Amino acid sequence: LQARPFAKAVAEWQLTGRVVSANNEGLPGVTVVVKGTTNGTTTGADGGFTLSVPETAGSLVFSYIGYQTQERKFSGAETLTIKLVEDTKALDEVVVVGYGTQKKGDVTGAIASFNAEKLQERPLARVDQALVGQLAGVQVKQTTGVPGRGFSVQVRGAGSITANNEPLYVIDGFPLEAAAQNASGRFGSGSPLDNINPNDIENIEVLKDAAAAAIYGSRAANGVVLITTKRGKSGKPKINLNTYAGFTQAVRKLDMLNADEWIDRSVEIINANWVNSGPGRLATQTTTERQAALKVTTIDPKYMIDDRWLQPGHPGLDFVDWQKEAFRTGFTQDVQLAASGASDFVNYYVSGDYLKQDGMVIGLGYKRYSARANVEVKASDKFKFGLNISPSYSITNDPGVEGKDNLLHLVVTSSPVVESTAGLNTNTGNFTYYNWGTTRNSPLRLLQNSIGDTRTFRTLGTIYGEFQIVKGLALRSTANIDNTDAESKSYTPAFVNGSLGSRQAAGSYSGFRKQTFVNENTLTYSKTLGGKHDITGLAGYSYNFTKLYAQALSATGGFVNQAVTTLNAATNISGTGSNYTTETQSALISYFGRVQYAYAGKYLLSASIRRDGSSRFGENTKFGVFPAASLGWRISQESFMQGITPISDLKLRASLGYSGNNGIGDYSSIATLGIYNYTFGGAQASGQAPNRVNNPDLKWERSRTYDVGFDFGVLKNRLTGSFDYYTKTSKDLLLNIPVLSAAGFSTQLTNIGEVVNRGLELELTSHNLVGAFQWNTSVNVSHNSNKVVHLGVGDAPIEIVSAYDIPNNILKVGQPLYSIYVVKQNGILSQSDIDGGAALYGSETVGDPKYVDANGDGKIDPNDRQIVGHPNPNYIWGVTNSFRYKGFDLSVLVQGQNGGSIYSLFGRAVDRTGTGQVDNVLGLYRDRWRSPEDPGAGQRGKAYSTFGRIKNTDWLYSSDYYRVRNITLGYDLGLIIKKSIAQGARVYVTAENFFGHDKYTGGFNPEAVNTGGGDNNFPVGVDYGGLPLAKSLILGLNFTF
Amino acid sequence: CEKDLDQTPLSSGSTPTFYQTQADFDQALSAAYAPLVAYPTRALNLSETRSDNIYGVDDLGVRDWAPVNNFSTALVNNPYVAEAWSGNYNGIFRVNTLLDQLANNGGVVADAARTRYEGEAKFLRAFYYFDLVRFFGKVPLIDKALVPAEVAKVPRTPVADVYNLIISDLQTAIANLPASYDGSVTADKPNVGRATSNAAKSLLALVYLTRSGPTYGIEGPGLATNEYTKALPLLNEVLNSGKYSFLASYPDIFSYTNENNKEVIFDIQFLSGGAGLGSDFPGLLVPDAYFTALKIPFASGGLEIRPIANDLLNSYPAGDVRKTFNFAQGYTSTTGFKETRWLMKKYLNESARGTTRTDWGINWIVLRYTDVLLMKAECILHGAGGSQAEVDDAVNRVRTRAGVTTKLTGVTLPQLMEERRRELAGEGSRWHDLVREGLVLTTINAWIPKEDTRNRMSRNVDANQIIYPVPQAERSAAPGLYDQNLGYQ
Repeated sequence: LQARPFAKAVAEWQLTGRVVSANNEGLPGVTVVVKGTTNGTTTGADGGFTLSVPETAGSLVFSYIGYQTQERKFSGAETLTIKLVEDTKALDEVVVVGYGTQKKGDVTGAIASFNAEKLQERPLARVDQALVGQLAGVQVKQTTGVPGRGFSVQVRGAGSITANNEPLYVIDGFPLEAAAQNASGRFGSGSPLDNINPNDIENIEVLKDAAAAAIYGSRAANGVVLITTKRGKSGKPKINLNTYAGFTQAVRKLDMLNADEWIDRSVEIINANWVNSGPGRLATQTTTERQAALKVTTIDPKYMIDDRWLQPGHPGLDFVDWQKEAFRTGFTQDVQLAASGASDFVNYYVSGDYLKQDGMVIGLGYKRYSARANVEVKASDKFKFGLNISPSYSITNDPGVEGKDNLLHLVVTSSPVVESTAGLNTNTGNFTYYNWGTTRNSPLRLLQNSIGDTRTFRTLGTIYGEFQIVKGLALRSTANIDNTDAESKSYTPAFVNGSLGSRQAAGSYSGFRKQTFVNENTLTYSKTLGGKHDITGLAGYSYNFTKLYAQALSATGGFVNQAVTTLNAATNISGTGSNYTTETQSALISYFGRVQYAYAGKYLLSASIRRDGSSRFGENTKFGVFPAASLGWRISQESFMQGITPISDLKLRASLGYSGNNGIGDYSSIATLGIYNYTFGGAQASGQAPNRVNNPDLKWERSRTYDVGFDFGVLKNRLTGSFDYYTKTSKDLLLNIPVLSAAGFSTQLTNIGEVVNRGLELELTSHNLVGAFQWNTSVNVSHNSNKVVHLGVGDAPIEIVSAYDIPNNILKVGQPLYSIYVVKQNGILSQSDIDGGAALYGSETVGDPKYVDANGDGKIDPNDRQIVGHPNPNYIWGVTNSFRYKGFDLSVLVQGQNGGSIYSLFGRAVDRTGTGQVDNVLGLYRDRWRSPEDPGAGQRGKAYSTFGRIKNTDWLYSSDYYRVRNITLGYDLGLIIKKSIAQGARVYVTAENFFGHDKYTGGFNPEAVNTGGGDNNFPVGVDYGGLPLAKSLILGLNFTF
Repeated sequence: CEKDLDQTPLSSGSTPTFYQTQADFDQALSAAYAPLVAYPTRALNLSETRSDNIYGVDDLGVRDWAPVNNFSTALVNNPYVAEAWSGNYNGIFRVNTLLDQLANNGGVVADAARTRYEGEAKFLRAFYYFDLVRFFGKVPLIDKALVPAEVAKVPRTPVADVYNLIISDLQTAIANLPASYDGSVTADKPNVGRATSNAAKSLLALVYLTRSGPTYGIEGPGLATNEYTKALPLLNEVLNSGKYSFLASYPDIFSYTNENNKEVIFDIQFLSGGAGLGSDFPGLLVPDAYFTALKIPFASGGLEIRPIANDLLNSYPAGDVRKTFNFAQGYTSTTGFKETRWLMKKYLNESARGTTRTDWGINWIVLRYTDVLLMKAECILHGAGGSQAEVDDAVNRVRTRAGVTTKLTGVTLPQLMEERRRELAGEGSRWHDLVREGLVLTTINAWIPKEDTRNRMSRNVDANQIIYPVPQAERSAAPGLYDQNLGYQ
């Protein structure tokens, strides 16, 4: 009774209701507060709430992490249903920049963003693969078809001639040690993206211009790729199951002569050999007549054909299509399970993933097991603490498929005729090789029996703490470790190795441990003054230490037991050249700072500076300073623009900055000693001498980038896009410039030379149709051209020494990097050409190729080489169209490039003048010149040519291609599955690489790199038998519980 | 932490920490010998293959030695020519570095050793420069370790000046070095194969002989200086030193089990066993299929037969053991194909092979007693003194050992040179012998039409082709610094 008057005196209204998400699910934990008071509550498990308020009209404020805050007026007791909208706008508008994030509207640098949400809907093994065709200015080349191996990534062309051209990768703030592809297209001590599971990735940003990237100083010249992995989102814990499985096949085979055509060519060559071996010898003479003429009773395959060729059914001989034997239908599967969630105190994302790929060639395979845990604990309002850890293990099986003299090369060039007794076992076991055929071992048996396993265990870990000293001022410290242990084992059993009677097993073991430790400490201050001045300041210190341990052992002298493939069973392991352990280490110490200022969201300014000290630099040049600045003007925020309704967003940007490239290898500035032993009196005498020139001034390559661009949105952002123009001038290039050998060395690593890259980039996203049927298009197009501005002393052109004949690449001032420099082929020589004094190469005769006498001296020689192309494409582009109707979604990614050329040494291997009778050659030789009456298609000369060969345009191909990389059709099962079973479910089918076209008829893949075509100083990677792309058909499921 | 920026290599030495002890200098000296290992291969590719001893027509594709053999003038980018230049200068750089360091830090080396190091180093420098002069004529003269920018100021130096350094270096070597190391004393064992005063005398005599050769109107190795009288006493000193002898059996000179024998005055030493100290020269002129036929599991080396010229085979009288020891007629492949051309097996002993085809252990004899004996005869025939009887005796000793019973009298210079050809076949001497004696153009131009049944060789070899061109890489590295030899422009 006493209570009533009291209760009555404070009269209240009861407000009840439910807070739901867009799809009407109750949202638990939403904060409900009466505006301007501390009176409030949180929603229960079903999103319901009850709140008593004084009998005064007011507003309720509903707030929830990840959702837009909403206000609702009340003027009496009510039952409310509040639908909260996800705060996607706010998320979208924050972009990750180096050492922090920034509102998208305030960004003044050139940054390309890739929302990786779609990654889990595609059968991708690697992150680099996912980037193909997605971002303007980012060229991703699929240089290998071996599953699990890294691709080449270039941002805005190649600024460096010989040092690294790969970008710096930063995963969740952890800058990984940069690594360059070597000339064999491999990352010797691992690619930074090895074993990273693409399904764990939330977002990828590429910092392209110096203003955005220069905060990474001496490692930023090739751009910086920032990768952000997934975090938990607040709300109910989520469990995601993503799985797919499907088939892969080679997109194509190479058109080689078939067995009958190979025989036809063999007969022509052998007869010509015979005719040219002495007077009175005629092509019409039989084997018996030839034996009589030579006074022998044996068969000499150089002068006598296999008589069985011409007999019906070629008795005793088998015809083999080695490509058909070697290629197969591969199988791919992946299962990923992830759990994520967040509360006020903890944010977590935990995943496990298993991927298995059986390649499209026998023997190729890849398996990866990976896990990730990203956990962040908010210990108090001021202190956050987090751990990201990702262990992974992968196994690549590659019996040695790609590259010169490796299995694909043998598959293609092996003679397609074998003895029936041996069949596919030719030159293995107890069978010798076919008398008229290649002496190689059966490539099929090699693929089936050779071991080439690479096992990589990698752990990436970051531990960090963030402390808010005062409001707006935060100190963040991180400790990061990246540890990779990789080991490779190869073994070729005796029965598929060597020749009959001397078969011996061969094996090798090699491996490395690479450890990168990074400690970074940053202090960030941000403040808004007077509501209009947004200021953010950053100061930091970074310590980076990398150590690489490498080892190798090999044995060629046979194994004692054929059941044992480890080297303890090798007969002989000796020598130091291929047996070693080595260690290298490097340190990088950096100080950096940045100021970002925005006035009323209209006038934007950013400036950064970094001072890097590196152990790789010479003792006189330990530290380098890399400043950058950028300006932005958001015109659309100006009052005078408010009337112009079609334009919803417009920002102009301009930037200038300097960045460096320290990809010069450890100790390059120091005159190291080489070991040059000698022998006295039958005993080894150790010897040492300098193996290069000391250079205490050696330093980073320095790039200066100007960038101007604009971002725009029109028609309420139905069409958005950005445009950039840049000039990147790279100076002090690290060149192993040729020096006079009289100095004791043929080259010296020097900071000299200059290259300029200029380009245009355009990205457009258009929401063509909105509503029930949605159609979106994203387009990216970029143009880049590079040019050598300066080279070594006197700007003398540098011809890149080729391991195969005369140089075919040149570095020349005014020309693109590595311009292709060969003799032009121009039809086939006729007798009248020769009678008319056509220029000849050596002993050329009628039916041999006609070459262009560029210098007009009446003969063909290396001086007639001309620049006929350049390796880098002029344009790269990608177009993604996506459609959505009811539960269906469809997306199509088409990607391509134009304007570049390939000079293919693989083309040369399968298509060269004077190729002997045994090897198989391109199908192009079907229409070769056979006689003046039968001159063929005019592209290829006669089979029997003895003049030799010269690097010419026969092996020049356009690298233009377009390819439908991906077509994915999905259906949202959420429409037919009860929510109690799964919150979301989607089934999809994906076709990768099913359609496309390229002009590379001398190889399988226009982007392949697998063999060193240059020398140590200019290690140009070339194709010498790279795998074709795989096309795959995949069925997948995404479940969310 | 900034101390961490000072890193030194963990897995290799570096210059600042070297040249601190006598052992360091000993290693630096061994490293100065090491470039010699390229010499035998170079001699076979650029001297033997260039000469009338080899008719090397490539059958299986274009080989880098083909243009050397067929007198193409497209040689500026030839890898063997480039190697001859850079390989020798690499050796010269190591000698110069060693000599500079000896002058600056040599105090750590005992006096006797320092004298010897200097003598051996200068012998090597003379050796490398002499190889350069014989192949290229004028070469830049560099006698101390220079950085590349300094070297870029040194043009090609007249041959006469290069000879001056060669002769002065060899004279130092003669003064500084012991007469020989015969290995009979244990302490001498680690010295067998080192340069000696007798090696320096023999080389100096050859230098005088070469310099005395005709000029052919080119800036080549011959300066027509008529110094036979300077050479003869040096040769006599070597022959009479008592350290060497004329072995009774020709095959014994090259036996794997008789290395460092009494015939050897200076050789380049090899050791098989997979430590990278073996050589490829024994198998260089035979094809891969030869080893396959013998069931030797060598990896393919892209080798092709470089057949012995019929002209050389026919030069041997019946019963000459040198023909059957040096050469063999073909082989039968595993598939039954019979190669009938002759190949060089002089240095091959398949049972003593190493782990790979580049791991043969046999030494390469550069200077041997018989060579010196025949050089003496050459001097006499040029009027340096001595008698025709000495000449006839030298030639007949050589022939008798080879199993040739017919004795010669009144041996002429062409006869002497033909005897040298038979005796020293496969030793990289033939081309230089022809050049030195003014016989090269007549001999080669007469030989080609006889030998070249497949019509692959140039029919008009001229004086410019006596020396090789300056490699293009050298001319490109410092445009305008080196002029090109005539005939290769």
